[in-house]
Amino acid sequence: MFSAPAAAVTRLQDRGLFMLSTEPSATTSYTLSYQYLSPDPVGSVDMLFCMDPIPYMPCDPPAGLDVSHAVLSNQTGDTGFSILSQSTNHIILTRTPTSPTAAGNSSYTFDNVMNPSDTSTAFAIRLKTLGTTDGTGPQIDVGSVRGQATNAIMLETQVPPLLVFCVAEQVADDCSSTSDSYYKDMGTLGPQSTLTAQSQMAVGTNASGGFTITANGPPMAAGTHVVDSPLTPTASEQGTNQFGINLVANTAPAIGNDPEGASTNAVVSPGYGVPNEYKFSSGDVVAYAPNVSLIKKFTVSYIVNSSKDLGPGVYSTTITYIGSGRF
Amino acid sequence: MKRFKSIAAAAMAVLIAAVYALPAVPAYAATSASLSIAPKKNYVIEPGKSVKDKLLITNLDSKNPLELSLRVADFTFTDDTGTPKLFLAQDAPQTTWSLKPFLTIPESVTIPAGGSKTLEMNVAIPAKQGAGSYYSAIVYSAGAPNGGNVGLGASGVTLVFTSVPGQVHEDLKLKKFGIYHIATPNENADYSFISAKEPVNVAYTLLNNGNVAEAPVGSITLKDMFGHTYVIDNVNPNGSLALIGQTRTFTACIKLKSQDVSFSGTKTQAATCVSPGMWPGRYSAALDLFYGQNGNETQEILSNTSFWYLPGWFMLLCLVVLAVFAYVVWRAWRFVRKKLGYQPKRSSHNK
Repeated sequence: MFSAPAAAVTRLQDRGLFMLSTEPSATTSYTLSYQYLSPDPVGSVDMLFCMDPIPYMPCDPPAGLDVSHAVLSNQTGDTGFSILSQSTNHIILTRTPTSPTAAGNSSYTFDNVMNPSDTSTAFAIRLKTLGTTDGTGPQIDVGSVRGQATNAIMLETQVPPLLVFCVAEQVADDCSSTSDSYYKDMGTLGPQSTLTAQSQMAVGTNASGGFTITANGPPMAAGTHVVDSPLTPTASEQGTNQFGINLVANTAPAIGNDPEGASTNAVVSPGYGVPNEYKFSSGDVVAYAPNVSLIKKFTVSYIVNSSKDLGPGVYSTTITYIGSGRF
Repeated sequence: MKRFKSIAAAAMAVLIAAVYALPAVPAYAATSASLSIAPKKNYVIEPGKSVKDKLLITNLDSKNPLELSLRVADFTFTDDTGTPKLFLAQDAPQTTWSLKPFLTIPESVTIPAGGSKTLEMNVAIPAKQGAGSYYSAIVYSAGAPNGGNVGLGASGVTLVFTSVPGQVHEDLKLKKFGIYHIATPNENADYSFISAKEPVNVAYTLLNNGNVAEAPVGSITLKDMFGHTYVIDNVNPNGSLALIGQTRTFTACIKLKSQDVSFSGTKTQAATCVSPGMWPGRYSAALDLFYGQNGNETQEILSNTSFWYLPGWFMLLCLVVLAVFAYVVWRAWRFVRKKLGYQPKRSSHNK
């Protein structure tokens, strides 16, 4: 399925970036550190600030970043560099070509760097060492370091992320109203009948990570008598002890509805989306969206079957649906 | 005494009359189970510092008040996706990455029908707290009334992540990389080497052995047999995380379609995977990932893989072409034999 990583023979080693302040748009110091790998004389170091760390990809400068006034204030390890040229997102260091001699990492500190303004994505510094003193010609070693501006409170998007969630026997498509009914009497259990019920929930989010809904609760029970639930999708069978749910339209018995709503991102989980087959395991994810999802309404169907040996009593359970974001 | 008795009797009569005259109080007052919350909060807090933030909760039900109890619960991962597994038991042991001791929230709130409330929350990191990722969940529970055979409860969850900067242990190991078919109601998600369906997703699975939640960045390049290139320049567009100890599968669309949609009165961008228009054949894929916290080493993961896209129509076409080719060869062979004067053999009983 995958092969071993390619040997990093031309990569600068132990690369790192320390931003003294990560506040967006702050003027601060960056300390870049890495270890030279090749013994070839290095006359210049090219530092290109881009959104994408990959050297052969187009370079989009990080919004708000400015290194045009950066000052090389300190250097350790392999030293002797000065700034040859600089622009908003590009610095070239130069020195008399010399073979690297430092045993460990070399570091270069730049003051007066303005941080990117965007806290939602990381940026990269693409590093390239060259034999010439002016940043031209064939490269010797390459590598990228990663950085990110962060607020103490990080905003995910310009619009605050929201998770909309409602549960009841019946709910409106946009959660603006419900039937105010949160329990259901299903009737009298018997080996010759299947008891059914249904509830609804609507959910949506503008968070890029999407949402997930889990169903949580104990099996249906009356004292010590328990109606077990199938852990894999199973057809309803009268005369056996079964408590199960699914989230699609069924014909055996005729109950439920397929999910309603425009969102294509929100889907029923595997195992709870097979018509006429039911299961229940507390904590299972019953529906989710991996991305932004407009509000979608799910109808949950419940079936209960009982064997003739099931002990008498009032059988009940409470299923709590938990709507959460994803990480 | 007689006068007192008559006054008491009159008072009792008024009380009884009043009880009967008052409307009956329902055993269960209608409440809402319809809410809007923030799904996730992220903070970067240095040791010894704290952050005050607000939790906005909206009751979407226009008729009934929303009564919520709030608590902090730890969580981990459920599987290789971004689904949290909440430790809801009151006696659940605290995780090593728990934010519980540092997170303060109110215990309950009542929000009027159709209204909103803003709650204060505070995250305070002790001065000697080590660097790393700390996370817990705020659980908002609407009361579940008793009665019937099946009762319904509803809870919303806000995931709260806090990063404490400093020297951390970062270690991501690549476990899998290749084309990926996402889960359907009937089928679990999985990698595949040969695909009859046009691939729309590429995925990579990473094991996080470090002490910090990681969100890698980087790119994936696909190349077909004819040199056409498909580049995924953002392999983690949602900033998804591999939690501590998690084996996490990150998926990326080969071709992404973004569109503005209206959500609760605001515009937001929804992205979906669309057909990348791939031709059948063998593809190579190259992964280049980067990760690393501020002040720590930037680490890189490189990998290459390959896969085949062989749709049914293409296989059928190949069979037809093969059959036509075999037929042409057979006809040519017969033609050559005839020209050379070979006679077809006859069976022995015809001799």
